[in-house]
Amino acid sequence: MLVKVSSVSNSGLETIGVDVEVNVASRGLPVFEIVGLPSKAVDESKERVRTAIFNSEFEFPSRRVIVNLAPADVPKEGSCYDLPIAVGVLALTMNYQLPDESIFFGELSLDGRLRHTKGTLLVSLFAKEKRIKNVFVPKASANEAAIVKGVNVYAIESLNELLLYLSGEIKLEPVKYREIKYNQPVEKSEFDMAEILGQEQAKRAMEISASGGHNLFMVGAPGSGKTMLARALPGILPLLTEDESLEVTKIYSASGRIPPEGSLIRTRSFRSPHHTISQVGLIGGGTRPQPGEVSLAHRGVLFLDEFNEFTRGVIEVLRQPVEDGSVGISRSRGRVSYPSRFMLIASSNPCPCGYLYHPKKECTCTQREIEKYTQRISGPILDRIDIHIRMSIVDIKELSESEQVIKMQEPSSKIRERVIRARRLQEKRFSKDNIHTNAEMKNKHIKKYCYLSKEIRQVLIQAGISFQLSARSYFKIIKISRTIADLDGLSDITLSHIAEALQYRPKAQIERGL
Amino acid sequence: MKRIEINNPDYPQLLKQIPSAPKELYYKGSWDNSLFENCLAVVGARRITSYGRQITQRLVSEMASAGLTIVSGFMYGVDATAHKAALDAGGKTIAVMPCGIDMVHPAHQEKLYNEILENKGLIISEFEGSSPPALWTYPKRNKIVAGLSKAVMVMEAASKSGALITAKCAQEYGRGLFAAPGPITSSLSEGTLGLIKKGAIMVTIAKDILDYYGLASSLLTAGSKQFLDLSKLEEEIMAKLKQESISIDDLSRLLGIAVSETGTTLSLMQLKGRLFEEGGKYYVS
Repeated sequence: MLVKVSSVSNSGLETIGVDVEVNVASRGLPVFEIVGLPSKAVDESKERVRTAIFNSEFEFPSRRVIVNLAPADVPKEGSCYDLPIAVGVLALTMNYQLPDESIFFGELSLDGRLRHTKGTLLVSLFAKEKRIKNVFVPKASANEAAIVKGVNVYAIESLNELLLYLSGEIKLEPVKYREIKYNQPVEKSEFDMAEILGQEQAKRAMEISASGGHNLFMVGAPGSGKTMLARALPGILPLLTEDESLEVTKIYSASGRIPPEGSLIRTRSFRSPHHTISQVGLIGGGTRPQPGEVSLAHRGVLFLDEFNEFTRGVIEVLRQPVEDGSVGISRSRGRVSYPSRFMLIASSNPCPCGYLYHPKKECTCTQREIEKYTQRISGPILDRIDIHIRMSIVDIKELSESEQVIKMQEPSSKIRERVIRARRLQEKRFSKDNIHTNAEMKNKHIKKYCYLSKEIRQVLIQAGISFQLSARSYFKIIKISRTIADLDGLSDITLSHIAEALQYRPKAQIERGL
Repeated sequence: MKRIEINNPDYPQLLKQIPSAPKELYYKGSWDNSLFENCLAVVGARRITSYGRQITQRLVSEMASAGLTIVSGFMYGVDATAHKAALDAGGKTIAVMPCGIDMVHPAHQEKLYNEILENKGLIISEFEGSSPPALWTYPKRNKIVAGLSKAVMVMEAASKSGALITAKCAQEYGRGLFAAPGPITSSLSEGTLGLIKKGAIMVTIAKDILDYYGLASSLLTAGSKQFLDLSKLEEEIMAKLKQESISIDDLSRLLGIAVSETGTTLSLMQLKGRLFEEGGKYYVS
């Protein structure tokens, strides 16, 4: 007697259909075997399924039970096949019909209940794509799956409940998607911009960076407020758009980072790994390739504090994800690709002792030491960073007493309004170009959307000569001025936009390589 | 492909003056007499150094934006850099080919070739059809380059260089001859330094040449009106910075204006050469 149950296999962000074939033979010695390249977790499923069936007070057949996971040449991972296997076995022993066009997916607990299983969002996305009507998933993971419209998601609490439903004794309604509180827009970040005294230019740079999605590099003495400023950044970022939100939630779902009952992720993530992080930790990897920090920061912020302290190799592997917005990870078990379109915010001291250009303290570094320190960040990486700023120490006591400073402090909420407006203009502009922000513009987009008058071009030429700008820097200046113009709500870039953008050019002391 | 004959009133006057001027010219692009008003030939080595590229871009972009038409021979190296710099600056340029008008030589520069045509530039040749360049066509090409121009500027040239032939033509025709100095250790300076020794005018800034043409630089360089005039805000900033060097944050607080506006003004003042920045603070220069 043979029955086929549909399920899926998730690898990275890709999903393929898997047929779980269960056969209970009428002759042969009693065994329970799973074939079709099961991993350890899948193989252990045998014990969970058998025990769960017993504890649900059903009979487990003492016959030859063979389970095949087809296609048999694709490695199967995870605990999600517990449910389809148990459903298949019970369908044969209890003799009832399985519903058509249904996917079963979930991990069993020994008591017969279903546990939260990662990746249910991908399951219902797959169902929608393949026009499969019903999806049966654990109750704790159902909300995540219900994000996708047009698929009936059934939240199953236990094997018992499922069998009652399948035998027609009770009725179940497909669940409706609910937004969950914890994922609601976080209005406040750790710090509010208004709490940071002075540093007006750095704050302005953050605003531009947040508006256009530009990468930013700040250099400043210890205590100048670099970390605080970066941590205030989430407070001025807009919420994820619908598309972005789905992209991000997929990554988190696939790697099991959505908590039970979880819903769509609406806020931009802020990741700040420590500088001892390994290449795999940053980029992703492992035998079963998991997303790294760059992908977890997708559509959000990757903050690398003390940039020079990261090992050279770790800094260099950032190149591809920053450039392409995605990262491919190849391992012997296969290749997966995760998106990684994030804003890179990096900070560093100006020199090893930290006091170069300090107004009061003397820098004790030799020229050689400073050179060695700044050279740890290569030209190609700096080249991918649009905005460069320098921050100096402020006298907090003096500033906190100055009325002028207080008057000029702006709360994050106000800055955010401007950022949202600028982002909206960009969404509209790039609606047909498959990009979202000014920072993603390639040369063809610059040609199309950044008209420069003759006067402005001349100033740029002059700037190229006076500030010794490289060709790349030249384009970066244009991109930044596009964002500044968007903040002003203007469709044309003016001279003052270009002039302000020049403030954020890479400065010579730091950028020796170019 | 179009053709213009020597007795046509549109035929460039300067070129007509040279001995054995070509009887007819073939060209691509749209003929515009204003193109020939202020021509400057920029010539030099094929094997350009990074220094040569740097000075060519720097000088040519300023000259082209001031209104000079940059004439050159479309060879790779200095020629191509000069054409490209002129186009990037939104200026005019004429390429004189050593081969038949229907041929792109060198072929890998086809992109530049099209760019010249798209930006109202001209491609000129004395030869018709697609006759390939030969040893004897290059000197003839050089004659036209020199003949079209009021002056010739040599950027980088070894002691035996085609650019020196163009320079010699310029002298024969009584045109201005300029040369950019290079390091005395470089073999690609031998030609240019030799020219300077023999009386060519040394070029170090675009003004050297623009003065010869009686043109003013359109950039905010020292001496121009824009440079001398300061806005009220700029005057205020100058006054503050004369007392002490200040960071941009402090400055915008002192002036009570947004940091974005302060940044804009400071950038422009830096471009005018009035200020410089070091370690986050601004100084009067």
